[in-house]
Amino acid sequence: MPATTVSAAPSAPLRQPYLLIPLAWFVPGAGHFLLGRKGRAAIVFGTVLVTFLVGASMRGPLFHPVDTGDVLSRLIQFGGFLGDLSSGIFYFAATFLGYGPPDVAGYSPDYGSKFIVAAGLLNILAIVDAFEISTRQKD
Amino acid sequence: MKLDHFETTILFALVCSVILGLVTKKTDEERLRYGLYCFGCFMAALFGIGWTMRILHG
Repeated sequence: MPATTVSAAPSAPLRQPYLLIPLAWFVPGAGHFLLGRKGRAAIVFGTVLVTFLVGASMRGPLFHPVDTGDVLSRLIQFGGFLGDLSSGIFYFAATFLGYGPPDVAGYSPDYGSKFIVAAGLLNILAIVDAFEISTRQKD
Repeated sequence: MKLDHFETTILFALVCSVILGLVTKKTDEERLRYGLYCFGCFMAALFGIGWTMRILHG
């Protein structure tokens, strides 16, 4: 009796995964939108936007990479800058519109800068999720 | 916008829970449940650490 083999068809990626990364970075939620997950795309876009706007309305300063200061300060500034930049279009729109409050003492601007960084980090989570969906590692 | 520490932390917990719930689970029900779980953990940490600081500092 011949052995029957069940071969699973290799699942092809839904879209070019590496093309999704810059798109999903630049416009939060764009990766999910292009994959047909429009509801999740709207939630990602709205959440990242609200987080960024809350941070900006609290007058949170943006991070800038600097060459001066000790190693820890430079690391914090550079990491914060990457976090800010991860918000994509919101970061560019804010800088284009001249947003750049001074770094003043007080808990409100301090929270604000963390909210702006958090917006970028949440977008990175969404980018990874969209990438995994596009490579069929998850639904 | 001027929010106090408590309001800011609640808002932060909310947005983080939304995204964490969205990107981790498979079904919508699981996502909702996990998002609520994350929010509950944030709240537990908020009140736990808050009361700990109050007890330690008086």
